[in-house]
Amino acid sequence: MTSGDLGLSKPEPLLRTLGLSVDYDAAGGAVVRALRNLDLEVAEGESVGVLGESGSGKSTLALALLHLLPRNARVVSGKVEYRGRSVTEFSAAQLREMRGGEVALISQEPALALNPVLPLRRQLADVLLAHHKVDRDAVSVRCNEMLHEVGFADPERILRAYPHELSGGQRQRVAIAQALICRPRLLIADEPLSALDAATQAEILELLQRLKRDLRLAMLFITHNAGTLAAVADNIIVMRDGEVAARGSIGKLQSSPDEYVQGMLFPEKSLVGEPRTSVSAAGERPLLEVRGLSKKFVQQRMLSRKKFAVQSLIGIDLSLRRGSTVAVLGRSGSGKSTLARCLAGFETPDSGEILVEGKPIVKPSKNKGGARNPVQMIFQDAATSINPRFTARQVIAEPLEIAKWKTDAERTVRALALMEEVGLDPAWAMRLAGEFSGGQRQRLALARALAAEPELLIMDEALSGLDMPLQAQMVRLLIDLQSRHGLTYLYISHDLNFISLFAQEVIVMEVGRIVERTAPARLAESTNPATRELVEASERLHAPGVEAAV
Amino acid sequence: MIRYLARRAGHGLLMLFGVSILMFLLFQTAPGDFLSEMKLNSQISPETMASLRVQYGLDQSLPIRYWQWAKSSARGDFGYSFFYNAPAASLLWPRARNTLLLTVPALLISWLIAVPLGVLVAGWKGKWADRLFSGGTSALLALPDVLIALLALLIALKTGIFPVGGMSSVNAQDQGWWAWLRDMGWHMLLPVAALVVGSLAIILRHVRASVCEVLESSYMRAAEGHGLPRFKLLFRYALPAAANPLISLFGLSVAVLLSVSLLIEVVMSWPGIGPLLLEAILARDLFLVIGAVMLSTVFLIAGNLLGDVLLYAFDPRIRRQA
Repeated sequence: MTSGDLGLSKPEPLLRTLGLSVDYDAAGGAVVRALRNLDLEVAEGESVGVLGESGSGKSTLALALLHLLPRNARVVSGKVEYRGRSVTEFSAAQLREMRGGEVALISQEPALALNPVLPLRRQLADVLLAHHKVDRDAVSVRCNEMLHEVGFADPERILRAYPHELSGGQRQRVAIAQALICRPRLLIADEPLSALDAATQAEILELLQRLKRDLRLAMLFITHNAGTLAAVADNIIVMRDGEVAARGSIGKLQSSPDEYVQGMLFPEKSLVGEPRTSVSAAGERPLLEVRGLSKKFVQQRMLSRKKFAVQSLIGIDLSLRRGSTVAVLGRSGSGKSTLARCLAGFETPDSGEILVEGKPIVKPSKNKGGARNPVQMIFQDAATSINPRFTARQVIAEPLEIAKWKTDAERTVRALALMEEVGLDPAWAMRLAGEFSGGQRQRLALARALAAEPELLIMDEALSGLDMPLQAQMVRLLIDLQSRHGLTYLYISHDLNFISLFAQEVIVMEVGRIVERTAPARLAESTNPATRELVEASERLHAPGVEAAV
Repeated sequence: MIRYLARRAGHGLLMLFGVSILMFLLFQTAPGDFLSEMKLNSQISPETMASLRVQYGLDQSLPIRYWQWAKSSARGDFGYSFFYNAPAASLLWPRARNTLLLTVPALLISWLIAVPLGVLVAGWKGKWADRLFSGGTSALLALPDVLIALLALLIALKTGIFPVGGMSSVNAQDQGWWAWLRDMGWHMLLPVAALVVGSLAIILRHVRASVCEVLESSYMRAAEGHGLPRFKLLFRYALPAAANPLISLFGLSVAVLLSVSLLIEVVMSWPGIGPLLLEAILARDLFLVIGAVMLSTVFLIAGNLLGDVLLYAFDPRIRRQA
């Protein structure tokens, strides 16, 4: 379909919403307001940023624009116009033409945006075939070109691959190729970077900037990270609870007196305090000692006897003093998570020893007696590590139940106290975990970990899924808990956010080895290439003045 | 792939061995044997009884009898039927063929109906057509298999169009192979239909459930966002992603169909393994029962093996692990 078929050819804005309000029907007849009276305009070639914390209705907006809202969502008032015509008036065929052909979407999780059982060639070619009649050779040529454009040197190999054979960054690039293969006018990017590590984020961001310039693409860039917006967006809309809290250029917003806007732009400002120095207690035995830890995984290919050993950890030495915070940094695939899983006892290392309080660790699966485990772990995604059908009380009390700790009533009292401690309203104890927001669920996970009265808390990218203001709140909470309970933290992350405010020591990992140990304040002076990459990626991602992470 | 299959086949052999031992033990602990009824007959002298016991090998200890049976199985006889006075295998093979004649078409038909229908119904989730189907499948699920078989018989009786049981008409073979084939097809119709009706509901529900789950996933929303046609979305994107649990179910459905088939064969007097097994159990015809059970086990293992192969072929993620 040409643009003429879709409406008027006057210089209208490409896409526009007028007083758009969307409600969700929640369980039990409740209605959740997602968007309220939203006015938005994207002109041809313009890029608009949408900034807001999770739950502010950003993703709903992306879906509403493409008329892709889930079944339980309703447009209460207002409308979405594409080239001056309301999308609700579109026929099914016209809607299909618009989606992918004129307006393309990149969704949040690259890992989840591609069909896991289909080869990428088909997933890419089908998008093209859905909008254009082209013969097989042309499809193949076009797919190759497109993959070249998003920065793949060997498109043929990618086309043959399945999603699980690619890294997160590669998958996101394929998803971008999918979105752009029909040369759309407008790209809606819903948090396209949040699931990637910092170095990959910077790569993808540069790619999007380049494509926007080369293709004259209009863009709606949805994110919680003000730093990335400064790099791509001409205009920014700040959203709060489904409404527009402020709009304008980044410079104008920076001088806005609104507290919420300031919190979105400068999440670090809410964290007061000096960079922390270590609570040194010389001579005391370290809480955690790791010596010569190694672990490899063995993979085998189809129809092949060859085995590939992936060396995940090589000779890791580590020691943690009681009450300290050590940050482990590195790209995805550097072995950070394997280290965490070994320390928590989920993986058995091939060699080396792990001592906690001078004793070898107990594997959770062997811990039949329900003894208290001094090491607890919090995972990246609380949404998947917590049973959504448990009530908050059940989630927190579960480790106590397993440990056969006192009576049911006492466990409930403790669960409520823990909720209060992590900043959740104890009145919500009977709510299902699935009804909590992302940030609240991460607090639940924290409360559950604290229930076991741990000495050492391992946080495997525990904050990465949260938006910046929430991350800041969590860091404040963690520092507070540490000073109250003398906790020791091992904080694993792929970016440098809040590191200087939070950690006393930084360990940088690269392909299974520790390549650098330093103080957070001295990261910027490092000459190690792996460290430099992380520092530079973080500088590229955050516009000057927006964040002072390092 | 070869190693994966060899390992699976090895598991199958082990399972056959286990089943055979279990069958011998069960028969040993069950009261009475093939000759028990003869004992009641006062005309047969104790001497004759004793010589018969020796002849049938019933005087031997369990391990020796098992060893004899194993040797006979290695020859392909699978022991000797006391009742029919023939090697068990020669009785079982034609019966097994007849059972397969029912179960294989029933299996194919029910899957060929259930998969497209299940995908379509999943696409209509929440609409009236979906509710109608859910109601229908619930009703079907609640229907016992015996009742389905009896209903089929009732239809045959009332209408008079269909044959009331059996596998062929008396004079069918005289009228040439085409007429014979048609006659057999006509006889197959009701038992196969009963089998399909008995297994369709459960497969349909599984197909619908797993496609529904996939349709909720973010990659399906992403594909919809790229403007792919609805038919393609349902059948070429959702179905392959949902296929994994269904393929496992396919292997299992062989077992379910087999057990339902035994029942339906008895009710509709189809000369498959079912009636043979029933008679053999009543007569305590040791080796025939063991043979029939072993044969069912083989079918079951073959079904699961087929499921594994399909899984391997369909899911790229499994290919990598294997």
